[in-house]
Amino acid sequence: MYNMHELVKISLENEMDLILANKRSMKLGEFTGLSLSAQTTFATAVSEVARNTIESKRNGSLTLCIEINKRDKYIVARIKDNQPENEKYKEGLAYAKRLVNKYNVSSNDDETSIELFYYVAPPFKIDIKKLDEWRTLFRNEPPVSPYEELKRKNEQLQDLSEKIQKSESQYKTLTNSLPLTIFTLDNDGQLIYANEWLLSFTGLTIEKLNTTKWKTVVFEEDYNSFLLLLNNDITRGTITMKIQARLKNNISGDYLWHQVSISPLKNTGDEILYWIGYIVDIHAQKVFEETLKDNIELKHAQTQLKQNQQVLEDYITELNRSNSELQQFAFIASHDLQEPVRKLLYYSDYLLEAYKNTLDDKGIKYLATMHSAAIRMRELISDLLSFSQVNKESIIFKTVDLNKVIVDVKQDMELVIEEKKANLQVHNLPEITGDERMMHQLFSNLISNALKFSAKDIAPVIQVLSQEKDGYFEIEIRDNGIGFRTEHLPDIFKLFQRLHPKKDFEGTGLGLAICRKIVELHNGNIKAESAPGKGSSFKILLPVKQSESVHESENTFS
Amino acid sequence: MNQKILLADDDEEDWEILLEAFKELNAEHAIHFKENGREIVTLLESTVEKDFPSLIVLDLNMPVLNGTETLKILKTNKKFRHIPVIIYSTSINPFEKDKCLLLGAERYITKPVSFKESIETARFFLNYEVQN
Repeated sequence: MYNMHELVKISLENEMDLILANKRSMKLGEFTGLSLSAQTTFATAVSEVARNTIESKRNGSLTLCIEINKRDKYIVARIKDNQPENEKYKEGLAYAKRLVNKYNVSSNDDETSIELFYYVAPPFKIDIKKLDEWRTLFRNEPPVSPYEELKRKNEQLQDLSEKIQKSESQYKTLTNSLPLTIFTLDNDGQLIYANEWLLSFTGLTIEKLNTTKWKTVVFEEDYNSFLLLLNNDITRGTITMKIQARLKNNISGDYLWHQVSISPLKNTGDEILYWIGYIVDIHAQKVFEETLKDNIELKHAQTQLKQNQQVLEDYITELNRSNSELQQFAFIASHDLQEPVRKLLYYSDYLLEAYKNTLDDKGIKYLATMHSAAIRMRELISDLLSFSQVNKESIIFKTVDLNKVIVDVKQDMELVIEEKKANLQVHNLPEITGDERMMHQLFSNLISNALKFSAKDIAPVIQVLSQEKDGYFEIEIRDNGIGFRTEHLPDIFKLFQRLHPKKDFEGTGLGLAICRKIVELHNGNIKAESAPGKGSSFKILLPVKQSESVHESENTFS
Repeated sequence: MNQKILLADDDEEDWEILLEAFKELNAEHAIHFKENGREIVTLLESTVEKDFPSLIVLDLNMPVLNGTETLKILKTNKKFRHIPVIIYSTSINPFEKDKCLLLGAERYITKPVSFKESIETARFFLNYEVQN
């Protein structure tokens, strides 16, 4: 049953015929299942061409047909007249051909035929029976007055427009009632439409959002990725794009995490018409994720910290161990070294005493050198021994009267004091909490230094003064000796530090280092002031009260 | 009681040094050397009280029985504890010194570093009872 099937023929002579042509065309569309708008489109195309024919009085006619070929079905309007084609004639066709799927024009000297084809969607079935049915219907269709027809047309138009309005308002209501921000963008990233959620969230109008390019809404750090979305270079893509950005809530002023997504809407020619976008609040989810991440990081940091602490503790244990080993080593070494040195001393002395008559001068000189070297070595060992014994473990805190300590020291040095004709002036000194033996060593070292570095030909005057201030006793040992340059100050308390050549002043370089160690073990401080030829002053700060922990150690050792 | 000094020291050079000094004082018969504390204790245990030495001198660092152990045995024994004991060491370790005095040693002296000092030490030992 391929081919063209004629259903009805209408002559085209006056306005009345035009209306009928339109009405019959609409009807045919209706029969073949076209939508109201498609019916109107087809009927309009037919009317345009038919009007031309009527206006130019060509004795035309309209034949409505169905074309069924192998693949497709069309409704067809064939408009014929008895004149050849001319320019004026084309006016109606020019408009009509845009409304239909295809058209066909044939003409000769005394006839022109125009066929307009409108596509019928495949699911619609057409058979012989239907065609006959439609022919009958067309035949029985009552002719209508043009006024009635016009009125009906207007009603149809009104109806269509109402439907469109209703559909649009439904869409708006829908988008506004969803807890979702919906918008559309043109290809330049400009907002075309935004639902109320977006406007109330941002507190801005579409125009404002477009002119500011959302700058006041999007969090600074996220703005670049947001711009990529808005910018056309990227959105020329044909797929849905999503970003996460913090958007500012107009009411609270908070920036909350949102997901912004846009998808292209294309026409049948695959061209992008515009972009449909939505924005969803994902703040809670994001915060949860971040918290989880922070938590993991925190746990990691805690583990790391614990490990570091363990390492540190291990180091400290190791350090304490090696420190106490070193102390022990120093003690044992110096103790055991004393024995051979003593022998050296004894035998060189014995030789110098008992064999001085059998030795020549050179022998005596060398032997004396050896003897004095052995003396220095013994002193060094003895100082090392002292130094190794000045430590936390061996400290015994008691109340110590410093006046008594000075008396003992003075007694020890009686010979030197007498020899140098020194004047040791001791002002009233306090009682302190400390280790008696270490205090003895401290003042012994300082006073013996003062005696040792006395100026030539001037009788040494050594003063020991004391005052209390800010919870500390300040004890000063002042002399009128040779002094030293202040540039040496930072070094003088260092181990084995000597300022003078051995031949000028005897000493091991341990004395002041021992002093500093003692003072520090007593939670105090020692410093020196001096200038060459101006004498020296050593100031010791010792706390009036030792802390609790220190007193505890008293119990341990007493 | 005899004028007899019992000295325990494992260092034979030190014996010689002291013997030299005692010889200078013509008193070499007064000093008797033992190698360690054990020898002194053993000797005393087999000696009648009238033959006890007038003075015991102990080095600290000795094999078998060291100075402080010997001192403990001597001073906790009723029979021996009246015999004066002098600790005789190379250096003065203040802790050792305190400990020894606490255990009952009469004195704690250092070994001589010169011939002159060795004679003084010998004289000190000989005259110990007279001094005290």
